[in-house]
Amino acid sequence: MRTVETEVGAILEGAISEITQRSIFRRLGGMARAPLQHLTTQDRQTIQAELESSVRLFAPGRSAELIAACARALALAGPPAATRAPGAPLTAGLSGTADADKRLAIESEKDIASARLEAWSEAVRIGLSKFASVKVATAVSELARNIVFYAGTGTIELHSRQEARETRLEIVAADQGTGIEPAKLDAIFAGTYRSERGLGKGLVAVQKLVDEFAIDTRPGRGTRVSCVFRGAR
Amino acid sequence: MNMLKVQPVQVGRATGREERAQAMKRKDEQQVPIIQIRGCLLVSIQTELHDRLALELKTALMERVRTLSIRGVILDVSWVEVIDSYITRILNDIGKSVRFMGAACYMVGIRPAVAMTLVEMGVELDAVSTALNLDAALEKLELRQ
Repeated sequence: MRTVETEVGAILEGAISEITQRSIFRRLGGMARAPLQHLTTQDRQTIQAELESSVRLFAPGRSAELIAACARALALAGPPAATRAPGAPLTAGLSGTADADKRLAIESEKDIASARLEAWSEAVRIGLSKFASVKVATAVSELARNIVFYAGTGTIELHSRQEARETRLEIVAADQGTGIEPAKLDAIFAGTYRSERGLGKGLVAVQKLVDEFAIDTRPGRGTRVSCVFRGAR
Repeated sequence: MNMLKVQPVQVGRATGREERAQAMKRKDEQQVPIIQIRGCLLVSIQTELHDRLALELKTALMERVRTLSIRGVILDVSWVEVIDSYITRILNDIGKSVRFMGAACYMVGIRPAVAMTLVEMGVELDAVSTALNLDAALEKLELRQ
């Protein structure tokens, strides 16, 4: 069966890592795994737009060539379907720099990679530098890992705002896990705490990466970490 | 020993779609190929590492270091776009284990933005040496004899 995943995957192989490829496909939802002939013209446009921004982001040196190859693969799939493939939701577009709010559910380890990619594209979309975008992705990776390892499930919210002189990206990681006891929290930030999985360093690392950092945690109630990245406009 | 495949599980561009879909499925089940080259082991990290996979990789590496008299292990992270403290710990763990066996451990291909981020986070990668690229790492390992 020919799907976006098989066709585009073959094109991107060697240019974009497997990890990133998978995250890109996950963003396409049901469309990535639907047979190509089940996709409507609109689906194909959405897919093409999404692939274009991802390819520009992750394979800037070869983007033109890869984008053309993807367009060819979609065009070669035959006439588009008249109605939408079942279970093919539209994804949020990547274009424009308008303010946006996204809420990502973190439920298992695979969500860490998607959250990271989502945060990365959001950072690039609103115009943060390449380095800042990697920092955003790293911070989200740490926060998502903490959720999966310690609370099981939770959410990560991304709020981007264009202000007069700067661009702000706020990341809020929240869970209803066991929370962190005050003594442990002090130890974490004093650098004396080491968890079994070596993650005592995660929160400290996030704090060092971001421009603003706040943590609200109550034993038995959960944890909420909020941090902000700023970029000049 | 058979936990990890010796040969790289690269799928060529020309292979059939079915095969590719199968290969993707297989990779979902997680394997990290280990390649032996000039008395060294080369590991290119291209999948998302997690606890079980990291342990399998470490075990397989140590087993091979012992049975094949390997002088060094090279971890290629040029495909890794984000390295957080968890991945750092895994890499450090592998480095430490390999060193205990008497072999050297090099990390190559770290991306500039990743390196800068690690510096800013203040995490230490003290159990692995670094080299600019694979050639440089092999050279250093050969001189080490």
